[in-house]
Amino acid sequence: MNRQEEQREALLGEISKCRSCRFCIDVCPTYQASGGVESFSPYGRLQIIKYLLAGRLDFDDSLTYCLYSCLKCRRCENICKSKGQNLDICELIHSGRYLLSTNLAREGKHAKL
Amino acid sequence: MQSSKVLISQALNIIQDNLERTGDPLGVKTVYWTRWSDGLSLPDRGPVLLYTARMYQMLPFIVEVAGMTEKARPLLPLLSVKGFARIAEVVSALTIDPLLRVKARRGQNIRSRSKAALCGIVSGLAGVGVHPAYLHDNEPYSGVLLWELELEEKVMPVAGSVYNKLKSAGAETVVTVDPHTTFMLREVYPRIISNFNLDIRHYLELLAELQFPSPEYRPSGFPEKFVLHDSCVMTRNLGIIEAVRTVANRLNIEVIEPENTGMDTACCGGPVEYAYPDLSRSISYIRAKELAETGRDVLVLCPVCLINLMKHENELGIRVWDMGEILNSVFSV
Repeated sequence: MNRQEEQREALLGEISKCRSCRFCIDVCPTYQASGGVESFSPYGRLQIIKYLLAGRLDFDDSLTYCLYSCLKCRRCENICKSKGQNLDICELIHSGRYLLSTNLAREGKHAKL
Repeated sequence: MQSSKVLISQALNIIQDNLERTGDPLGVKTVYWTRWSDGLSLPDRGPVLLYTARMYQMLPFIVEVAGMTEKARPLLPLLSVKGFARIAEVVSALTIDPLLRVKARRGQNIRSRSKAALCGIVSGLAGVGVHPAYLHDNEPYSGVLLWELELEEKVMPVAGSVYNKLKSAGAETVVTVDPHTTFMLREVYPRIISNFNLDIRHYLELLAELQFPSPEYRPSGFPEKFVLHDSCVMTRNLGIIEAVRTVANRLNIEVIEPENTGMDTACCGGPVEYAYPDLSRSISYIRAKELAETGRDVLVLCPVCLINLMKHENELGIRVWDMGEILNSVFSV
């Protein structure tokens, strides 16, 4: 298992700790600004990363928008902590984007759509 | 959003290219970040070093880049992906520097406000007996944008270079002026640089710790109370919450807390402006409206919050003040 695969497995393991309580959704500024689209919420983004890393979704325009619109403001983590779960949600999104953005940057000016 | 993938990919590449080509994330070759300090006679080395990381100085350029991106957005569907990418690449490499310089020169308002903020911070520090050195033309960019875009391998050489420059100038304590740079130096650099040995202090922490006399006179036209917009990075990443309240209290300024404040503060939308200006504007409007319901004069502690909330000043009848601007008004009486 190479380093990237290890990071991927570790990330999927952390994401699986989410209990899907969805309390993080309402406090997310992008969820509020999008008029209540769950893909623009912390919970939605974790699900997107999970299915992208599992190869069950293609990394297309819509999913890029959902992931890269995260402000990483960590407001969701406050509520996650207060509900007893205490996931580093923004760190997980950061790691997910890191694994994906390495490819994006490499594809560079000729990113395939 | 249509073409989102290529936009992000392009942004990642342009920032990387700009940094490699010019050492500046915006690709501006001219030394623009030292003008604010003209006449202050700051020494270029010393144990206490002010590190601006160009954050305030970049504001007029960021405003122009955001405006240009927004105007170019309708062209996207008309161009092939590769065509757009090629145009963006050429425009970035050839014309961005002179174009931005000309346009940024016209942004007099934000230029004078960012200068006032930095001068105010230096005045405030002098008020508590701290007289920092400054690297002037040699001051490097911190690489914070690379970190925020998850280009971690690219941050490593930047961090090493910045650290060496700070140490070479004799720094033991580095005084930062914005939360993003404070976070980079305090939380990210020590993970990258072995034996990291610098004391990183945000200027508000120093002002809160050290005693300074309350000003006897309030400048004319200066508001008596401000509604405080806490920065996300300052509160949730760095845990610095009380410092600004302590300093405001010493300046005889009444701080009003909005609905979402402190650890529960709401974001200004700044972090996504580089790619999604419409979404960023919606988020900043929601926050600015919430602040406007509490008070007319808004106090911010971060240059990113300043330019994002400023967009709604006319529409909502508010005035956004950076803490540095307030220090400048108070200490220049």
